[in-house]
Amino acid sequence: MSQRQHNSASTSSQTSAPAAQLASLNENVPTPVSAANQIAKSRIDYVQVDALVLLKIIKHTQESGGGAELAQGILTGMVQIQDGNSKRIEVTNCFGLPTANNLKGGTADYNEQCNIFITDNLKTFRHLNIDHLIIGWYQSSLFGNFVNKNFIEDHFMYQSDIEDSIVIIYDPFKTQHGSVYFKAFRLTPNMMEMQNRKDFSPETIKDLKLNHENFMEELPVVIRNSHLVNSLLCELEDLNPTPKHQSFFDLATGSVLEKNLRSLIDNVDELTVDTAKFLNYHKQLQKQNHLKQQHLQKREAENSARRARGDPLLPEEDINKIFKPLPPISRLETLLISNQIQNYCQQITDFTSQSFSNLFITEAVQNK
Amino acid sequence: MSKFFVQNSSSESESESEDEIAEVQKPTRPMYTYESDEDQKGSRVVLSERDKRIEEINNLVRQLKNAKKIRDIVKSNQTFDELVKVYDKCRKVVEKDGHFKHFIRAIADLETFVNELWDSSWKASASKSNSTALTKLRQRIRKYNKDYEKEISDYKAHSDNYPEEEKISKTDSEESESEEEVQPKKELKTKTKVEKSESESESGEEDSESEISWDETEESTSDEELVYDKADAYKLFLKDTTSTKTKKDEKKRPKEKKVVVTVDTDRESEKPKFERKLFAKEEEITPINVFNKLNEIVSARGRKGTDRHDQLEMLKELREISRAHNFGSAMDFKIVFNQMAISFDYNTRISACMKSEVFQECLNMLDQMINIVLENPDIEVSENVSDEEENVHDNTKPYKIRGCVLTITDRMHEEFTKILQQCDAHGTEYVERLKDEPKLNALIDKLQNYLEMRGNSQEICRVYLRKVENIYYKYDKNNEKNSAELIDRLCKYIYTNDSTDRLRAKAMLCHVYHNALHDRWFEARDLLLMSHLQESIDNSDILLQILYNRTMVQVGLCAFRVGCIKDAHSALLDIQVGNRAKELLAQGVMMQRNIEKSKEQEIKERQRLIPFHMHINLELIECVYLVSAMLIEIPFMSSREFETKKRLISKQFHYQMKLSERQPVVGPPENMREHVVAASRVMKKGDWKACTDYLINDKMNAKVWDLMPQSDRVKQLLIEKVKEESLRTYLFRFSGVYESISIESLAKMFDLPRNFVYSVISKMIINEELMASLDEPTQTIVMHRTEPTKLQTLALQLSEKISNLMDQTERMVQIRGGEMGAFLNRNQQGQQNQQAQQSKQQGYKQTRNQRNQQQK
Repeated sequence: MSQRQHNSASTSSQTSAPAAQLASLNENVPTPVSAANQIAKSRIDYVQVDALVLLKIIKHTQESGGGAELAQGILTGMVQIQDGNSKRIEVTNCFGLPTANNLKGGTADYNEQCNIFITDNLKTFRHLNIDHLIIGWYQSSLFGNFVNKNFIEDHFMYQSDIEDSIVIIYDPFKTQHGSVYFKAFRLTPNMMEMQNRKDFSPETIKDLKLNHENFMEELPVVIRNSHLVNSLLCELEDLNPTPKHQSFFDLATGSVLEKNLRSLIDNVDELTVDTAKFLNYHKQLQKQNHLKQQHLQKREAENSARRARGDPLLPEEDINKIFKPLPPISRLETLLISNQIQNYCQQITDFTSQSFSNLFITEAVQNK
Repeated sequence: MSKFFVQNSSSESESESEDEIAEVQKPTRPMYTYESDEDQKGSRVVLSERDKRIEEINNLVRQLKNAKKIRDIVKSNQTFDELVKVYDKCRKVVEKDGHFKHFIRAIADLETFVNELWDSSWKASASKSNSTALTKLRQRIRKYNKDYEKEISDYKAHSDNYPEEEKISKTDSEESESEEEVQPKKELKTKTKVEKSESESESGEEDSESEISWDETEESTSDEELVYDKADAYKLFLKDTTSTKTKKDEKKRPKEKKVVVTVDTDRESEKPKFERKLFAKEEEITPINVFNKLNEIVSARGRKGTDRHDQLEMLKELREISRAHNFGSAMDFKIVFNQMAISFDYNTRISACMKSEVFQECLNMLDQMINIVLENPDIEVSENVSDEEENVHDNTKPYKIRGCVLTITDRMHEEFTKILQQCDAHGTEYVERLKDEPKLNALIDKLQNYLEMRGNSQEICRVYLRKVENIYYKYDKNNEKNSAELIDRLCKYIYTNDSTDRLRAKAMLCHVYHNALHDRWFEARDLLLMSHLQESIDNSDILLQILYNRTMVQVGLCAFRVGCIKDAHSALLDIQVGNRAKELLAQGVMMQRNIEKSKEQEIKERQRLIPFHMHINLELIECVYLVSAMLIEIPFMSSREFETKKRLISKQFHYQMKLSERQPVVGPPENMREHVVAASRVMKKGDWKACTDYLINDKMNAKVWDLMPQSDRVKQLLIEKVKEESLRTYLFRFSGVYESISIESLAKMFDLPRNFVYSVISKMIINEELMASLDEPTQTIVMHRTEPTKLQTLALQLSEKISNLMDQTERMVQIRGGEMGAFLNRNQQGQQNQQAQQSKQQGYKQTRNQRNQQQK
């Protein structure tokens, strides 16, 4: 975890330069004035990922223990505006960040080393005429358990520095089991707003109309192959005919579902705890409100008596001094956990529906 | 000088009585005294307690007066403090004589003085420190004087009766000059006495080893002087010449070159010479003489200048003399007794032990002592003999000697333990030393005979316990019955006759230990349970706790040997937890990383260590513990594989398992732990053969199993246990795979008799561990398959959690004043859903059953 924070810190400090470049790149676009305009501007329709990037990420993840360790890296590419309004992000290249362990300098000056590493890489990219604009970052994740506080904070830093940045999540486990899990996410403007305020009280969430579904938006990912790659693929297909024995019907229900369920149980537990906390907070709040009310009534009665007698009235401002307002409870965790639960549910649904279709197919085959 | 000579008969008795007080005051302090510095300087002023105090108070009163004169309130405040302290010290004297008049006067004066100052205008002009001191002093003196109200009022009434300073023993100084020559002997006696009383009080500050036995001997010697204070001794002294006295005096402190000034001039002129000869040529050797000499030597014991070696030599010589003159065995006994006491004294440091030669000598002496008391029934040796009654040289009356052979024997035993502790446990020296043990045991046996004849029940209890403590840890291969009966008899005597709980508890633990050692499991367990020691052991002393730990370990090992695995596990659990077995059993000092131990603590721990030949093998304990944990834990783990919350029975076992799991490559097991872990790993699969191979092989035999008596029987038992638990594990783990299993095949698989398998399975079914039923005619187990699969269990758990969450959410909605109805409705719906699910499940089952039937 700490390592990830390191990363984000380093990259955020680094990204000031690319941000400037970004501004210069978007010069021809009239600078938006209102927030609403900005929201419209920052809306991205889809992400186009080069096959190279995909393979590089897979390779990086594989090298760092097949997902056991967190693999993170920087995405480079460019922002494309099409037809005036629709906007797409093109990810054309990437590079992995070193972990603290395999840096020479040790963990002490990890940030600095990382910075040097990134600038060096970007410089080299420029020399080689590769896109050297940072447009986000990627991270490996097992079973889609990536939604947590650190992740949100990290990405908030990227997105606040570079408006159009995205994060790509890659799941090696799913990929190994036949379906490439490759998803791009952004924080929604409302979430950005909340992060900006650093205020996660229930009121803010209510104001911004946030819920577990809309604080993060998923962007469609399009994988683009260059013609060269396509021709290579064709050749490969000829060289390596597809194996006869397909494991299409592999159900493998046990382990995948079990793992998902276990994670779900953990998350539900957490959510329960969180809810209990929130409940407690509410009870306290209610109690305090009640007391406040009583106090005010008393004061009111006294004041009216005083008024009748012609005495000076007692002040009413000290209500906040007597009843210190409760520190607002953070609801961020709840949001994240809910989202995570939703993720798991989605995964289970996906998996089971796949399995079901497999089942039906086999049944059909068997009957013959 | 004059202050010292207390010649007046009345004052003499007074000073004597004061000496007595001083002695009474510190009766338990041993007398390893050092001469005070004042002593070495030469002139020595010896004051009685009272005189000393009076002098001190006088000084303070004088200071106080001066301070008052210059109106230094701070100073007078301090002086008052000291005064109060000093007066506190002489409370004893005051209780006897009444309050010191000059003290009363001083405090009364001080109060009036303070009050005057308080009222006068001086206060305003005084410095700040002075005025605050005055306030303080005023408060304190007011409070303090309340206790002396009566005396103060008396003083105010008759102020003439209260002198400003008390004169010390005025009468003595007047008369001493004249009587000095007449009674030199008496003065000397008083001097030694006073010295002693002083040195006794001094000894309190000096650190020295304190042993109970010494106090007793010490007391006896100091009291003996009172004996010779009596008439007959007095006559003897009159007969003596003063010169012998001098010699004696010098001999007392052979190292000390200076002659005490207080003696008369002709002594001073005589040069101090070291004299080996105990008696002057012309001196007549009588029993009384010898006895006095003995006392003299003994009284020098423990002083700074005393050479212990010389003392021993002298005593030896004295003993020869007494033998040569045939003074009787009582005298002999007395001398040997003291000789032993001094030998124990030989080493100043507690940790140092006796040299082996000395120890041998002591053994001989002890032997002689016991022989003497055995052979001479007319000698009474007891702690209860008072000094006046003591009689060693008068053959007309029965001999009475103060002392306790038992205590000396105990002390001897301690010394023996110490010697063993200092030895290298793996060297030949240890074996050599250990050869002394039978001798010591023989002595104890003899002593037991003697005490059974003469001693009281408490003493018999003590000697029995000593004997039990020497036997209980020894495994008796040949005549087990004998030692068991012996211990039984001795312990039972202690149970009935002991008046202190400690002896009983010790005896009980030894008894349990011995029972456990000889595989009498039920006796051991019952006795341990009856003792109720578990509840009180935390509050008892550490030695007892160590014995308790040892006993528990032995009980655990015994339980294992007889096949009560669970009991073995629970008995050993406490010892094994936290890896502190070594420390808990006092078999070594452990260095722990986090806890810094002070030097003293470490020394203390070292002193508590148990000699090596009494050790219980630590590896054996750990192995037995781990194996029992394995036998309990592995089936348990397999039965609860699906539960998310893991309950651990034995943490240590899990720790070992984890440790091996973490290794990338698991090699063949090397040490005991690895063997057990490897065994557990194969046991998880139900492979009993491999499991026993891991547990019982040459390596493990050499390391562990051969350490047990009757190891073959234990191994056989262990194999049976492994088979049984493997069978259970197998059923837990793989029952889901089977529709039915025949008992026959299970019996073959685990190499168990069929009815045994039958009973194990029945037990499992009864305990609802296995969802199956037995089919009698075909001798098979039919699985019921009600056990949900892993996934189903998880789903069930999840639904439980979710319903929890829903409850919470519902409450939240209520608090917000939301519609409760909505949730209630949902609840009902939920219930309906559940019902629907249930019916679905049933339907599923039914279809399954139908299918099964069809298959059949």
